[in-house]
Amino acid sequence: MVDQTVALRSADELVGRILAFSRMLRESGLAVTPGRIVDAARSLPLVGLDERDELRLALRTNFASSREEEQLFDRAFDGFWNERPRQSSSRIETDDEPAAEGESLAAVSATSDAADPSAARYGRIEADAERDLRDRWPGGSREFDRAIDALIRSLATRRSRRYRAARRGPRVDFRRSLRRSAARGADVHEIVRARPKIRKTRLILLYDVSGSMADATSFLLRFLLGVQRRLPGSRSAVFSTRFTEVTRALRRRGVAATLEHLARAARHWSGGTDIGGALAVLNRGVVRDGSARSTICLIVSDGYDHGDPERIAREMALLSRRVRRIVWINPLFGTEGYQPLARGMHAALPWIDRFLPGHDVRALRRLTAELGAM
Amino acid sequence: MTAALFSSIDAVRSAFEAESYVADRALALTVMLAARLEKPMLLEGEAGVGKTEVAKVLARALDTELIRLQCYEGLDVHTSLYEWNHARQMLSIRMAEAAHDDRAAIEKHVFGDEFLLERPLLRAIRHRGPRPAVLLIDEIDRADEEFEAFLLEVLSDFQVTIPEIGTLTAEQKPLVVVTSNRTRELNDALKRRCLYLWIDYPTAEREREIVLRKVPGIRETLADRIAAIMQTLRKIDFAKAPGVAETLDWSRALLGLDVDDVAPAILEDTAGCLLKCREDVDCLRTVGAAAILADDVPAAPRMERAW
Repeated sequence: MVDQTVALRSADELVGRILAFSRMLRESGLAVTPGRIVDAARSLPLVGLDERDELRLALRTNFASSREEEQLFDRAFDGFWNERPRQSSSRIETDDEPAAEGESLAAVSATSDAADPSAARYGRIEADAERDLRDRWPGGSREFDRAIDALIRSLATRRSRRYRAARRGPRVDFRRSLRRSAARGADVHEIVRARPKIRKTRLILLYDVSGSMADATSFLLRFLLGVQRRLPGSRSAVFSTRFTEVTRALRRRGVAATLEHLARAARHWSGGTDIGGALAVLNRGVVRDGSARSTICLIVSDGYDHGDPERIAREMALLSRRVRRIVWINPLFGTEGYQPLARGMHAALPWIDRFLPGHDVRALRRLTAELGAM
Repeated sequence: MTAALFSSIDAVRSAFEAESYVADRALALTVMLAARLEKPMLLEGEAGVGKTEVAKVLARALDTELIRLQCYEGLDVHTSLYEWNHARQMLSIRMAEAAHDDRAAIEKHVFGDEFLLERPLLRAIRHRGPRPAVLLIDEIDRADEEFEAFLLEVLSDFQVTIPEIGTLTAEQKPLVVVTSNRTRELNDALKRRCLYLWIDYPTAEREREIVLRKVPGIRETLADRIAAIMQTLRKIDFAKAPGVAETLDWSRALLGLDVDDVAPAILEDTAGCLLKCREDVDCLRTVGAAAILADDVPAAPRMERAW
């Protein structure tokens, strides 16, 4: 009898601890819902609680739902249950962890500053990366918005593999035909046909937000927001020496909220550039396994790069086989006497289907015309 | 039997082992919780780490039916849940008319069970025990978001409504294994419904055990060597790092060639078992087979990423 009370009290205590832990997890950004807490609590009697590792795994499988969240969870768990953190093989950027690689990046840009006179253009350290994006937001420009609209329209004409009922079409919709006929006796009076739904083309947008692109940021932001709003199936990512998918950040309502969220999601604005690395992330993630063969990949970058040009070439070759088209918009292209001499740009050139300027509305219109022709 | 299998982590592990699947604690625990809490499990990981195999092994261990729904773009209700056999219906209507049957009877007849084409999800719902079926929803990230929303509905109460028949509810909820290659982010609601596990490439120790179990006749020293080399290979920045399936292919090839140790020339000659695209084979040559065998490769410059 006595034993039971003790057990009960410790179970109560455990539940209390779990609740406190859940709150902490929620604060660190995991989607902690009442349902999940209940399921986590239901899991506890099923595992050996004297084994710390089982407790961790049981709670983790309930609360985390991606690899990054698993890692975030593990750190939080070690912190909360007060023990030495376990070794983690890879570091993942999170909101509560401001960029700490100032040092190493400074080292990189210091060496490249010495080696390459143009390094001053892109070698800025990430320290000033958190400049408020709102400062760079251009005032409203009807013309620009219209140009983006036209661009979206020209893209929105692809056939889906899903069908919808129609009077004419290549396929017979048996189900509908029969149902309709059943209402008037069993004979089939009318054949309902089906034709493919029109689907908007999916875009994958990869934006260079390194220091050298700072001047083009306002164009970029507008473009990013415009496309994402109108082609919801698209995915957007920004990169410098790190890679951040911002698709979700762009779904916010209101420009101010979006920009704020964007700045928080990607803390590496105005850093150095690693185009090859960004392409590698793309190739191993979003466009892996031919899942994106009907996608257009749009890269916005000036091609100034710290990395290995051979790697860029290799990743571009891979990418070109996995997406339908690669379009590269270079904000420098179009300025007088521009030649794609930047090493990164040069390495990428053979795999680009369309190489376009993109610094103003006129360039955007040309882009629209070109994309429409694809 | 079901209860015994899911009574503890160790029970799950030994059941999996009996089916030649080497499961680590995290996987065994997730499987156990999924079964006991009756929640689907969402397994993510690189291609070739054995996600799909989990469902197959689970079905074998339970001696129950494996119902597989392979996802692809455009997958819809008709191919995932049910479809009426229209051609047969029409034929049957004609025959009934010729026999001057009553209209209501015809309708009742042609929307009967024998005209219903059962697709995987319906099959899982109508599965009658004694043991739960295993429903494998493979590569959910290939399906489109519309389908994901529909699936969420099915997974939440295992109940579907077919207008002509009525509402069907699962008597025995299936064990659901959802896999994703992570080519896109999944719906939050779907993720919340599932127990999650990221399956990583196996450690050298585990991979060695896998090789020994799956490739009968291989010497332990060679299995050790293979497992070590795989660890090195996965450090290299390949477009498609070799998975466990590749390890097994390669092990069988080496066994067939009857080699005692892996020499550089052999690694190069058999690279086709491990790497499936030209750039990667080139990359292997650039790094050098000798360097790989000496575990002297530059770590891949992996870019930090956040989704």
